[in-house]
Amino acid sequence: MTPEAGTVEWVAVAPLVELQRRRKKQVEVAGRAIALFLVGDRVFALDDTCVHKGRSLSRGSLWKGKVVCPAHQWTFDPETGRADDQDDCQPVHDVLVVDGVVHVDPRPRQI
Amino acid sequence: MSATPSTVVAVGAGQAAVSAVRMLRRRGFEGRLVVLGDERHAPYQRPPLSKEYLRGEADLDDLTILQPSWCSANDVELLLGTRAERISYDTSARRVHLAGGGEIVADAVLVATGVRARRLPGIEGNRVVHLRTLDDADRLRAQLPGAGRIAIIGGGLIGSEVAASGRDLGVEVTCLEAAALPLLGQLGPAMACVYADLHRENGVDLRFGQQIESVVETSSGVVVRTRLGDVVEADLLVVAVGAVPNDELARASGLAMDPVAGGVLVDAGCRTAIEGVFAAGDIASRFDPTTGRHVRAEHLDNAGRQGMAVARALLGQAEVAEDPAWFWSDQYEHNLQFVGRPRADATVVVRGSISDREFTAFYVHEGRVHAAFAVNSGGDVTAARQLITGAVPVAETVLADEDTDLLALLDTVDTVDA
Repeated sequence: MTPEAGTVEWVAVAPLVELQRRRKKQVEVAGRAIALFLVGDRVFALDDTCVHKGRSLSRGSLWKGKVVCPAHQWTFDPETGRADDQDDCQPVHDVLVVDGVVHVDPRPRQI
Repeated sequence: MSATPSTVVAVGAGQAAVSAVRMLRRRGFEGRLVVLGDERHAPYQRPPLSKEYLRGEADLDDLTILQPSWCSANDVELLLGTRAERISYDTSARRVHLAGGGEIVADAVLVATGVRARRLPGIEGNRVVHLRTLDDADRLRAQLPGAGRIAIIGGGLIGSEVAASGRDLGVEVTCLEAAALPLLGQLGPAMACVYADLHRENGVDLRFGQQIESVVETSSGVVVRTRLGDVVEADLLVVAVGAVPNDELARASGLAMDPVAGGVLVDAGCRTAIEGVFAAGDIASRFDPTTGRHVRAEHLDNAGRQGMAVARALLGQAEVAEDPAWFWSDQYEHNLQFVGRPRADATVVVRGSISDREFTAFYVHEGRVHAAFAVNSGGDVTAARQLITGAVPVAETVLADEDTDLLALLDTVDTVDA
Protein backbone atom coordinates (compact mmCIF):
# COMPACT_ATOMS: atom_id res chain seq x y z
CA MET A 1 0.00 0.00 0.00
CA THR A 2 2.81 2.42 0.65
CA PRO A 3 4.22 3.39 -2.71
CA GLU A 4 7.87 4.23 -3.03
CA ALA A 5 8.71 7.84 -2.49
CA GLY A 6 9.06 9.79 -5.66
CA THR A 7 6.88 7.53 -7.80
CA VAL A 8 3.57 9.08 -6.83
CA GLU A 9 2.46 12.66 -7.24
CA TRP A 10 0.14 12.91 -4.28
CA VAL A 11 -2.65 15.44 -4.60
CA ALA A 12 -4.22 16.94 -1.48
CA VAL A 13 -7.98 16.61 -1.84
CA ALA A 14 -9.69 17.26 1.48
CA PRO A 15 -9.16 17.66 5.20
CA LEU A 16 -9.90 14.40 7.01
CA VAL A 17 -12.47 16.11 9.23
CA GLU A 18 -14.69 16.65 6.21
CA LEU A 19 -15.09 12.89 5.97
CA GLN A 20 -15.93 12.34 9.57
CA ARG A 21 -19.61 13.15 9.59
CA ARG A 22 -20.92 11.47 6.47
CA ARG A 23 -17.91 9.18 6.02
CA LYS A 24 -17.91 9.87 2.29
CA LYS A 25 -17.09 12.71 -0.01
CA GLN A 26 -16.72 13.34 -3.70
CA VAL A 27 -13.57 15.15 -4.81
CA GLU A 28 -12.12 15.94 -8.20
CA VAL A 29 -8.53 15.25 -9.14
CA ALA A 30 -7.20 16.19 -12.56
CA GLY A 31 -10.70 16.23 -14.01
CA ARG A 32 -11.54 12.84 -12.55
CA ALA A 33 -14.26 12.42 -9.93
CA ILE A 34 -13.08 10.36 -7.00
CA ALA A 35 -15.15 9.07 -4.09
CA LEU A 36 -13.54 9.02 -0.67
CA PHE A 37 -14.84 6.73 2.04
CA LEU A 38 -13.89 6.59 5.68
CA VAL A 39 -14.11 3.02 6.97
CA GLY A 40 -13.13 2.72 10.60
CA ASP A 41 -10.10 5.01 10.67
CA ARG A 42 -8.94 4.29 7.13
CA VAL A 43 -9.64 6.36 4.05
CA PHE A 44 -10.25 4.67 0.72
CA ALA A 45 -10.50 6.27 -2.71
CA LEU A 46 -12.36 4.83 -5.70
CA ASP A 47 -13.33 6.31 -9.02
CA ASP A 48 -16.67 7.95 -8.35
CA THR A 49 -18.27 6.78 -11.59
CA CYS A 50 -19.56 3.25 -11.06
CA VAL A 51 -18.23 0.71 -13.57
CA HIS A 52 -21.71 -0.75 -13.84
CA LYS A 53 -23.97 2.06 -15.02
CA GLY A 54 -21.99 5.21 -14.38
CA ARG A 55 -23.80 6.48 -11.31
CA SER A 56 -21.97 8.28 -8.52
CA LEU A 57 -20.61 6.01 -5.78
CA SER A 58 -20.19 8.92 -3.38
CA ARG A 59 -23.99 9.16 -3.32
CA GLY A 60 -24.13 5.57 -2.14
CA SER A 61 -23.52 4.18 1.29
CA LEU A 62 -21.10 2.19 3.36
CA TRP A 63 -22.31 -1.04 4.86
CA LYS A 64 -20.18 -3.52 6.76
CA GLY A 65 -17.05 -2.09 5.25
CA LYS A 66 -18.34 -2.29 1.68
CA VAL A 67 -19.19 0.56 -0.66
CA VAL A 68 -22.75 0.22 -1.95
CA CYS A 69 -23.60 1.88 -5.27
CA PRO A 70 -26.83 3.85 -4.98
CA ALA A 71 -28.13 2.91 -8.43
CA HIS A 72 -28.21 -0.88 -8.51
CA GLN A 73 -26.83 -1.83 -5.11
CA TRP A 74 -23.61 -3.36 -6.37
CA THR A 75 -21.19 -3.71 -3.47
CA PHE A 76 -17.48 -3.05 -3.77
CA ASP A 77 -14.51 -3.83 -1.61
CA PRO A 78 -13.06 -0.34 -1.03
CA GLU A 79 -9.54 -1.73 -0.86
CA THR A 80 -9.48 -3.63 -4.16
CA GLY A 81 -12.53 -2.24 -5.99
CA ARG A 82 -13.73 -5.78 -6.60
CA ALA A 83 -17.51 -6.07 -6.96
CA ASP A 84 -19.26 -8.86 -5.07
CA ASP A 85 -20.67 -11.57 -7.37
CA GLN A 86 -19.62 -9.66 -10.49
CA ASP A 87 -16.67 -9.82 -12.81
CA ASP A 88 -16.15 -6.08 -12.79
CA CYS A 89 -13.72 -4.07 -10.75
CA GLN A 90 -13.97 -0.41 -9.79
CA PRO A 91 -10.68 1.51 -10.21
CA VAL A 92 -9.15 2.40 -6.85
CA HIS A 93 -6.54 4.95 -5.86
CA ASP A 94 -3.85 4.93 -3.22
CA VAL A 95 -4.46 7.26 -0.30
CA LEU A 96 -2.09 8.95 2.10
CA VAL A 97 -3.22 11.00 5.07
CA VAL A 98 -0.63 13.57 6.15
CA ASP A 99 -1.25 16.00 8.99
CA GLY A 100 -5.00 15.52 8.78
CA VAL A 101 -5.13 16.07 5.02
CA VAL A 102 -6.22 13.33 2.63
CA HIS A 103 -3.96 12.89 -0.39
CA VAL A 104 -4.82 10.76 -3.38
CA ASP A 105 -2.79 9.28 -6.20
CA PRO A 106 -4.57 10.53 -9.33
CA ARG A 107 -3.63 7.39 -11.25
CA PRO A 108 -5.69 4.28 -10.49
CA ARG A 109 -3.75 1.50 -8.84
CA GLN A 110 -2.70 -1.27 -11.19
CA ILE A 111 -4.15 -4.55 -9.98
CA MET B 1 -29.56 -36.11 -1.03
CA SER B 2 -26.84 -36.49 1.50
CA ALA B 3 -23.64 -36.28 -0.50
CA THR B 4 -22.61 -33.53 -2.89
CA PRO B 5 -24.10 -34.44 -6.28
CA SER B 6 -21.88 -35.47 -9.16
CA THR B 7 -24.09 -34.13 -11.96
CA VAL B 8 -26.25 -31.01 -11.81
CA VAL B 9 -28.50 -30.01 -14.70
CA ALA B 10 -30.08 -26.57 -14.90
CA VAL B 11 -33.16 -26.41 -17.07
CA GLY B 12 -33.22 -22.79 -18.19
CA ALA B 13 -30.38 -20.37 -18.78
CA GLY B 14 -31.54 -17.16 -17.15
CA GLN B 15 -30.35 -15.34 -14.05
CA ALA B 16 -31.28 -18.07 -11.55
CA ALA B 17 -29.52 -20.85 -13.46
CA VAL B 18 -26.48 -18.72 -14.16
CA SER B 19 -26.13 -17.59 -10.53
CA ALA B 20 -26.35 -21.18 -9.36
CA VAL B 21 -23.78 -22.42 -11.85
CA ARG B 22 -21.31 -19.60 -11.23
CA MET B 23 -21.53 -20.03 -7.48
CA LEU B 24 -21.13 -23.79 -7.70
CA ARG B 25 -17.90 -23.41 -9.63
CA ARG B 26 -16.71 -20.48 -7.52
CA ARG B 27 -17.15 -22.58 -4.40
CA GLY B 28 -15.24 -25.53 -5.82
CA PHE B 29 -17.98 -27.84 -7.09
CA GLU B 30 -16.13 -30.36 -9.24
CA GLY B 31 -19.00 -32.39 -10.68
CA ARG B 32 -20.59 -32.21 -14.10
CA LEU B 33 -22.60 -29.06 -14.78
CA VAL B 34 -25.05 -28.80 -17.67
CA VAL B 35 -27.11 -25.74 -18.59
CA LEU B 36 -30.01 -26.19 -21.02
CA GLY B 37 -31.19 -23.03 -22.75
CA ASP B 38 -34.12 -23.19 -25.15
CA GLU B 39 -33.11 -19.94 -26.85
CA ARG B 40 -30.20 -19.92 -29.27
CA HIS B 41 -28.49 -17.01 -27.48
CA ALA B 42 -25.87 -17.35 -24.80
CA PRO B 43 -27.40 -16.61 -21.37
CA TYR B 44 -28.26 -12.94 -21.08
CA GLN B 45 -29.78 -10.54 -18.59
CA ARG B 46 -33.21 -9.15 -19.36
CA PRO B 47 -33.42 -5.80 -17.53
CA PRO B 48 -31.64 -3.84 -20.31
CA LEU B 49 -34.03 -5.20 -22.95
CA SER B 50 -36.53 -2.49 -22.14
CA LYS B 51 -33.89 0.16 -21.42
CA GLU B 52 -30.31 0.53 -22.70
CA TYR B 53 -30.50 -2.31 -25.19
CA LEU B 54 -33.82 -1.14 -26.57
CA ARG B 55 -32.43 2.36 -27.05
CA GLY B 56 -29.35 1.04 -28.81
CA GLU B 57 -27.01 2.11 -25.99
CA ALA B 58 -25.96 -1.43 -25.12
CA ASP B 59 -25.16 -4.39 -27.31
CA LEU B 60 -25.31 -8.14 -26.96
CA ASP B 61 -21.95 -8.31 -25.22
CA ASP B 62 -23.24 -6.06 -22.46
CA LEU B 63 -26.15 -8.42 -21.89
CA THR B 64 -24.31 -11.73 -21.83
CA ILE B 65 -24.02 -13.16 -18.32
CA LEU B 66 -22.45 -16.52 -19.10
CA GLN B 67 -19.83 -16.39 -21.82
CA PRO B 68 -19.29 -19.58 -23.81
CA SER B 69 -15.55 -19.03 -23.19
CA TRP B 70 -16.16 -19.00 -19.42
CA CYS B 71 -18.14 -22.21 -19.80
CA SER B 72 -15.26 -23.92 -21.63
CA ALA B 73 -12.73 -22.67 -19.10
CA ASN B 74 -14.91 -23.84 -16.22
CA ASP B 75 -16.09 -27.07 -17.75
CA VAL B 76 -19.75 -26.09 -17.94
CA GLU B 77 -21.76 -27.73 -20.72
CA LEU B 78 -23.92 -25.02 -22.20
CA LEU B 79 -26.49 -26.57 -24.52
CA LEU B 80 -28.35 -23.82 -26.37
CA GLY B 81 -31.44 -24.29 -28.49
CA THR B 82 -32.21 -27.27 -26.28
CA ARG B 83 -35.56 -27.73 -24.64
CA ALA B 84 -36.26 -30.15 -21.83
CA GLU B 85 -39.74 -31.61 -21.61
CA ARG B 86 -39.87 -33.61 -18.44
CA ILE B 87 -37.93 -34.87 -15.45
CA SER B 88 -38.42 -38.46 -14.33
CA TYR B 89 -37.21 -39.97 -11.09
CA ASP B 90 -36.27 -43.24 -9.60
CA THR B 91 -34.52 -44.07 -6.39
CA SER B 92 -31.02 -43.42 -7.66
CA ALA B 93 -31.28 -40.73 -10.31
CA ARG B 94 -33.24 -38.06 -12.03
CA ARG B 95 -33.47 -38.03 -15.81
CA VAL B 96 -34.02 -34.88 -17.84
CA HIS B 97 -35.81 -35.78 -21.05
CA LEU B 98 -35.05 -33.54 -23.99
CA ALA B 99 -37.43 -32.49 -26.74
CA GLY B 100 -36.70 -34.59 -29.80
CA GLY B 101 -35.33 -37.46 -27.76
CA GLY B 102 -32.33 -37.95 -25.58
CA GLU B 103 -31.93 -37.69 -21.84
CA ILE B 104 -29.41 -36.55 -19.29
CA VAL B 105 -28.99 -38.45 -16.05
CA ALA B 106 -28.45 -36.19 -13.06
CA ASP B 107 -28.31 -36.27 -9.28
CA ALA B 108 -29.80 -32.83 -9.03
CA VAL B 109 -31.95 -30.75 -11.37
CA LEU B 110 -32.67 -27.06 -11.13
CA VAL B 111 -35.92 -25.99 -12.75
CA ALA B 112 -35.36 -22.39 -13.81
CA THR B 113 -37.66 -22.10 -16.78
CA GLY B 114 -38.82 -18.56 -16.02
CA VAL B 115 -41.91 -16.87 -17.37
CA ARG B 116 -43.16 -15.63 -20.71
CA ALA B 117 -45.07 -12.53 -21.69
CA ARG B 118 -48.80 -12.81 -21.15
CA ARG B 119 -50.81 -12.61 -24.36
CA LEU B 120 -54.18 -10.93 -24.69
CA PRO B 121 -56.56 -13.15 -26.66
CA GLY B 122 -56.78 -12.12 -30.31
CA ILE B 123 -54.21 -9.34 -30.01
CA GLU B 124 -51.40 -10.46 -32.28
CA GLY B 125 -50.00 -9.18 -35.54
CA ASN B 126 -47.07 -7.66 -37.37
CA ARG B 127 -47.40 -4.41 -35.49
CA VAL B 128 -48.01 -6.00 -32.11
CA VAL B 129 -44.96 -6.61 -29.92
CA HIS B 130 -44.50 -8.40 -26.61
CA LEU B 131 -41.25 -7.93 -24.75
CA ARG B 132 -39.64 -10.76 -22.89
CA THR B 133 -36.83 -12.33 -24.90
CA LEU B 134 -33.84 -10.98 -26.75
CA ASP B 135 -35.58 -11.80 -30.03
CA ASP B 136 -38.59 -9.75 -28.88
CA ALA B 137 -36.27 -6.89 -27.98
CA ASP B 138 -34.50 -7.07 -31.34
CA ARG B 139 -37.83 -6.82 -33.10
CA LEU B 140 -38.91 -3.84 -31.02
CA ARG B 141 -35.50 -2.20 -31.27
CA ALA B 142 -35.66 -2.39 -35.06
CA GLN B 143 -39.07 -0.73 -35.20
CA LEU B 144 -39.12 1.70 -32.29
CA PRO B 145 -36.84 4.51 -33.52
CA GLY B 146 -38.77 4.75 -36.79
CA ALA B 147 -42.19 4.71 -35.17
CA GLY B 148 -43.78 8.12 -34.91
CA ARG B 149 -46.21 6.96 -32.27
CA ILE B 150 -46.56 3.84 -30.20
CA ALA B 151 -49.35 2.59 -27.98
CA ILE B 152 -48.61 0.51 -24.92
CA ILE B 153 -51.13 -1.67 -23.14
CA GLY B 154 -50.03 -1.94 -19.51
CA GLY B 155 -48.39 0.64 -17.27
CA GLY B 156 -46.38 -1.77 -15.14
CA LEU B 157 -42.59 -1.83 -15.04
CA ILE B 158 -42.04 -3.15 -18.56
CA GLY B 159 -44.71 -0.89 -20.06
CA SER B 160 -43.28 2.14 -18.23
CA GLU B 161 -39.72 1.35 -19.22
CA VAL B 162 -40.69 0.97 -22.86
CA ALA B 163 -42.59 4.26 -22.58
CA ALA B 164 -39.52 5.98 -21.15
CA SER B 165 -37.21 4.50 -23.78
CA GLY B 166 -39.64 5.52 -26.50
CA ARG B 167 -39.76 9.10 -25.22
CA ASP B 168 -35.96 9.17 -25.02
CA LEU B 169 -35.94 8.26 -28.72
CA GLY B 170 -38.43 11.01 -29.52
CA VAL B 171 -41.37 8.69 -30.10
CA GLU B 172 -44.91 9.75 -29.13
CA VAL B 173 -46.24 7.36 -26.49
CA THR B 174 -49.77 6.58 -25.34
CA CYS B 175 -49.98 4.17 -22.43
CA LEU B 176 -53.24 2.47 -21.52
CA GLU B 177 -53.43 1.12 -17.97
CA ALA B 178 -56.33 -0.91 -16.62
CA ALA B 179 -55.97 0.20 -12.99
CA ALA B 180 -56.69 3.64 -11.58
CA LEU B 181 -52.95 4.38 -11.31
CA PRO B 182 -49.77 2.65 -12.43
CA LEU B 183 -48.11 0.27 -9.94
CA LEU B 184 -50.90 1.08 -7.52
CA GLY B 185 -50.70 -2.17 -5.59
CA GLN B 186 -46.95 -1.84 -5.20
CA LEU B 187 -46.60 1.88 -4.47
CA GLY B 188 -49.90 2.84 -2.90
CA PRO B 189 -51.95 5.82 -4.14
CA ALA B 190 -49.65 8.70 -3.13
CA MET B 191 -46.50 7.32 -4.71
CA ALA B 192 -48.34 5.87 -7.70
CA CYS B 193 -49.45 9.47 -8.39
CA VAL B 194 -45.84 10.64 -8.26
CA TYR B 195 -44.88 7.78 -10.55
CA ALA B 196 -47.58 8.76 -13.02
CA ASP B 197 -46.33 12.35 -12.90
CA LEU B 198 -42.81 11.24 -13.83
CA HIS B 199 -44.23 9.87 -17.06
CA ARG B 200 -46.59 12.73 -17.77
CA GLU B 201 -43.88 15.35 -17.34
CA ASN B 202 -41.85 13.40 -19.88
CA GLY B 203 -44.67 13.58 -22.37
CA VAL B 204 -46.35 10.21 -22.05
CA ASP B 205 -50.08 10.28 -22.69
CA LEU B 206 -51.02 8.09 -19.74
CA ARG B 207 -54.64 6.93 -19.49
CA PHE B 208 -56.12 4.96 -16.61
CA GLY B 209 -59.05 2.65 -16.06
CA GLN B 210 -58.69 1.53 -19.66
CA GLN B 211 -59.83 -1.82 -20.86
CA ILE B 212 -59.25 -2.87 -24.41
CA GLU B 213 -62.27 -3.25 -26.66
CA SER B 214 -60.51 -4.05 -29.91
CA VAL B 215 -57.22 -3.87 -31.75
CA VAL B 216 -57.31 -3.56 -35.53
CA GLU B 217 -54.24 -3.59 -37.70
CA THR B 218 -54.45 -1.45 -40.82
CA SER B 219 -52.06 -1.09 -43.73
CA SER B 220 -50.35 1.82 -42.02
CA GLY B 221 -50.69 1.14 -38.34
CA VAL B 222 -52.78 -0.18 -35.53
CA VAL B 223 -55.96 1.20 -34.01
CA VAL B 224 -56.77 0.47 -30.38
CA ARG B 225 -60.28 1.08 -29.09
CA THR B 226 -61.04 1.02 -25.38
CA ARG B 227 -64.26 0.40 -23.46
CA LEU B 228 -64.23 4.02 -22.36
CA GLY B 229 -64.47 4.92 -26.04
CA ASP B 230 -60.89 6.12 -26.56
CA VAL B 231 -59.44 5.52 -29.99
CA VAL B 232 -55.65 5.39 -30.14
CA GLU B 233 -53.88 5.19 -33.47
CA ALA B 234 -50.26 4.14 -33.48
CA ASP B 235 -47.54 2.73 -35.70
CA LEU B 236 -46.80 0.00 -33.22
CA LEU B 237 -48.54 -1.60 -30.25
CA VAL B 238 -46.60 -2.96 -27.29
CA VAL B 239 -48.52 -5.36 -25.07
CA ALA B 240 -47.02 -5.38 -21.56
CA VAL B 241 -49.59 -7.03 -19.34
CA GLY B 242 -47.43 -9.21 -17.14
CA ALA B 243 -46.07 -12.69 -17.48
CA VAL B 244 -47.11 -16.30 -16.99
CA PRO B 245 -44.90 -19.12 -15.73
CA ASN B 246 -43.26 -21.50 -18.19
CA ASP B 247 -44.59 -24.42 -16.20
CA GLU B 248 -45.02 -27.14 -18.84
CA LEU B 249 -41.94 -29.07 -17.73
CA ALA B 250 -42.85 -28.76 -14.07
CA ARG B 251 -46.37 -30.01 -14.69
CA ALA B 252 -45.21 -32.84 -16.92
CA SER B 253 -42.80 -33.83 -14.15
CA GLY B 254 -45.48 -33.93 -11.49
CA LEU B 255 -44.08 -31.11 -9.36
CA ALA B 256 -46.48 -29.44 -6.93
CA MET B 257 -47.64 -26.06 -8.23
CA ASP B 258 -48.80 -22.92 -6.43
CA PRO B 259 -52.55 -22.78 -7.09
CA VAL B 260 -52.69 -19.01 -6.60
CA ALA B 261 -49.51 -17.38 -7.88
CA GLY B 262 -48.56 -20.19 -10.24
CA GLY B 263 -45.10 -21.63 -10.40
CA VAL B 264 -43.41 -24.49 -8.59
CA LEU B 265 -43.78 -24.72 -4.83
CA VAL B 266 -40.41 -24.79 -3.08
CA ASP B 267 -39.18 -24.47 0.48
CA ALA B 268 -36.94 -21.65 1.74
CA GLY B 269 -33.92 -23.46 0.29
CA CYS B 270 -35.64 -23.71 -3.13
CA ARG B 271 -36.22 -27.49 -2.83
CA THR B 272 -39.30 -29.03 -4.38
CA ALA B 273 -40.99 -31.96 -2.67
CA ILE B 274 -39.00 -34.30 -4.88
CA GLU B 275 -35.53 -35.02 -3.62
CA GLY B 276 -32.79 -33.54 -5.77
CA VAL B 277 -35.15 -31.29 -7.71
CA PHE B 278 -34.99 -27.55 -7.10
CA ALA B 279 -36.71 -24.55 -8.61
CA ALA B 280 -35.52 -20.96 -8.60
CA GLY B 281 -36.24 -17.59 -10.14
CA ASP B 282 -39.48 -16.41 -11.72
CA ILE B 283 -40.86 -19.96 -11.92
CA ALA B 284 -40.43 -20.64 -8.19
CA SER B 285 -43.02 -19.92 -5.54
CA ARG B 286 -40.82 -19.96 -2.50
CA PHE B 287 -41.77 -20.37 1.14
CA ASP B 288 -40.95 -17.19 3.01
CA PRO B 289 -40.18 -18.08 6.64
CA THR B 290 -40.84 -14.54 7.87
CA THR B 291 -44.47 -14.53 6.68
CA GLY B 292 -45.16 -18.24 6.47
CA ARG B 293 -46.40 -17.81 2.92
CA HIS B 294 -45.22 -18.73 -0.54
CA VAL B 295 -44.10 -15.85 -2.73
CA ARG B 296 -43.37 -15.85 -6.44
CA ALA B 297 -41.45 -12.81 -7.65
CA GLU B 298 -40.32 -11.79 -11.12
CA HIS B 299 -37.22 -9.73 -10.43
CA LEU B 300 -33.56 -10.20 -11.21
CA ASP B 301 -32.33 -9.87 -7.64
CA ASN B 302 -34.77 -12.54 -6.51
CA ALA B 303 -33.63 -14.91 -9.26
CA GLY B 304 -29.97 -14.35 -8.47
CA ARG B 305 -30.45 -14.93 -4.75
CA GLN B 306 -32.49 -18.06 -5.29
CA GLY B 307 -29.92 -19.44 -7.72
CA MET B 308 -27.26 -18.93 -5.07
CA ALA B 309 -29.48 -20.55 -2.44
CA VAL B 310 -29.69 -23.64 -4.66
CA ALA B 311 -25.90 -23.69 -5.03
CA ARG B 312 -25.46 -23.53 -1.27
CA ALA B 313 -28.02 -26.29 -0.74
CA LEU B 314 -26.27 -28.52 -3.27
CA LEU B 315 -22.95 -27.95 -1.55
CA GLY B 316 -24.44 -28.59 1.88
CA GLN B 317 -23.65 -25.04 2.98
CA ALA B 318 -25.74 -23.00 5.37
CA GLU B 319 -28.54 -20.80 4.14
CA VAL B 320 -27.92 -17.08 4.46
CA ALA B 321 -30.13 -14.57 6.23
CA GLU B 322 -33.22 -13.35 4.45
CA ASP B 323 -32.97 -10.13 2.51
CA PRO B 324 -36.10 -8.18 1.76
CA ALA B 325 -37.36 -8.21 -1.81
CA TRP B 326 -35.73 -5.52 -3.93
CA PHE B 327 -36.00 -4.28 -7.49
CA TRP B 328 -35.03 -1.26 -9.48
CA SER B 329 -36.05 0.49 -12.62
CA ASP B 330 -34.33 3.19 -14.65
CA GLN B 331 -36.73 5.55 -16.40
CA TYR B 332 -35.72 8.81 -18.09
CA GLU B 333 -32.93 10.21 -15.93
CA HIS B 334 -34.51 8.69 -12.85
CA ASN B 335 -33.29 5.70 -10.86
CA LEU B 336 -36.15 4.05 -8.98
CA GLN B 337 -35.81 1.34 -6.36
CA PHE B 338 -38.26 -0.52 -4.19
CA VAL B 339 -37.34 -2.66 -1.23
CA GLY B 340 -39.58 -4.64 1.10
CA ARG B 341 -43.21 -5.68 0.93
CA PRO B 342 -45.94 -3.19 0.30
CA ARG B 343 -48.82 -3.03 2.73
CA ALA B 344 -51.95 -1.04 2.23
CA ASP B 345 -52.23 0.14 5.84
CA ALA B 346 -48.78 1.77 5.95
CA THR B 347 -48.17 5.47 6.46
CA VAL B 348 -45.90 7.03 3.86
CA VAL B 349 -43.06 9.08 5.34
CA VAL B 350 -41.06 11.11 2.83
CA ARG B 351 -37.37 11.86 3.27
CA GLY B 352 -36.08 14.35 0.73
CA SER B 353 -37.93 16.32 -1.90
CA ILE B 354 -40.66 14.92 -4.11
CA SER B 355 -40.64 18.03 -6.30
CA ASP B 356 -36.88 17.74 -6.87
CA ARG B 357 -37.41 14.06 -7.71
CA GLU B 358 -34.92 13.07 -5.07
CA PHE B 359 -36.53 11.34 -2.13
CA THR B 360 -37.25 8.09 -0.36
CA ALA B 361 -40.77 7.17 0.69
CA PHE B 362 -40.75 4.90 3.72
CA TYR B 363 -43.82 2.74 4.29
CA VAL B 364 -44.23 2.68 8.06
CA HIS B 365 -46.63 0.68 10.17
CA GLU B 366 -46.60 0.58 13.98
CA GLY B 367 -43.21 2.23 14.21
CA ARG B 368 -41.45 -0.15 11.83
CA VAL B 369 -40.38 0.30 8.22
CA HIS B 370 -41.95 -2.32 5.96
CA ALA B 371 -40.92 -1.02 2.56
CA ALA B 372 -39.24 1.93 0.86
CA PHE B 373 -39.50 3.51 -2.57
CA ALA B 374 -36.38 5.46 -3.47
CA VAL B 375 -36.34 7.94 -6.34
CA ASN B 376 -32.79 9.02 -7.19
CA SER B 377 -31.84 8.30 -3.61
CA GLY B 378 -30.58 4.76 -3.68
CA GLY B 379 -28.13 5.64 -0.93
CA ASP B 380 -31.07 5.24 1.47
CA VAL B 381 -31.80 1.71 0.29
CA THR B 382 -28.99 0.12 2.31
CA ALA B 383 -30.44 1.56 5.49
CA ALA B 384 -34.01 0.77 4.48
CA ARG B 385 -33.08 -2.85 3.90
CA GLN B 386 -31.56 -3.11 7.37
CA LEU B 387 -34.44 -1.30 9.05
CA ILE B 388 -36.87 -3.73 7.42
CA THR B 389 -34.87 -6.87 8.17
CA GLY B 390 -34.18 -5.91 11.75
CA ALA B 391 -37.72 -4.56 12.36
CA VAL B 392 -35.92 -1.63 13.97
CA PRO B 393 -38.21 0.78 15.84
CA VAL B 394 -37.86 4.21 14.30
CA ALA B 395 -39.71 7.50 14.67
CA GLU B 396 -41.27 9.03 11.57
CA THR B 397 -39.59 12.35 12.32
CA VAL B 398 -36.20 10.67 12.32
CA LEU B 399 -36.86 9.03 8.97
CA ALA B 400 -38.00 12.31 7.48
CA ASP B 401 -34.98 14.25 8.75
CA GLU B 402 -32.32 14.19 6.05
CA ASP B 403 -29.69 15.15 8.58
CA THR B 404 -30.00 11.87 10.46
CA ASP B 405 -27.66 9.15 9.32
CA LEU B 406 -30.08 6.24 9.04
CA LEU B 407 -27.32 3.67 9.17
CA ALA B 408 -26.31 5.09 12.54
CA LEU B 409 -29.71 3.96 13.86
CA LEU B 410 -28.63 0.40 13.42
CA ASP B 411 -26.64 -1.53 15.95
CA THR B 412 -23.94 -2.66 13.61
CA VAL B 413 -20.97 -0.39 13.74
CA ASP B 414 -19.41 0.19 10.37
CA THR B 415 -16.04 -1.49 10.34
CA VAL B 416 -14.05 -3.47 7.86
CA ASP B 417 -15.19 -7.07 8.03
CA ALA B 418 -13.04 -8.99 10.42
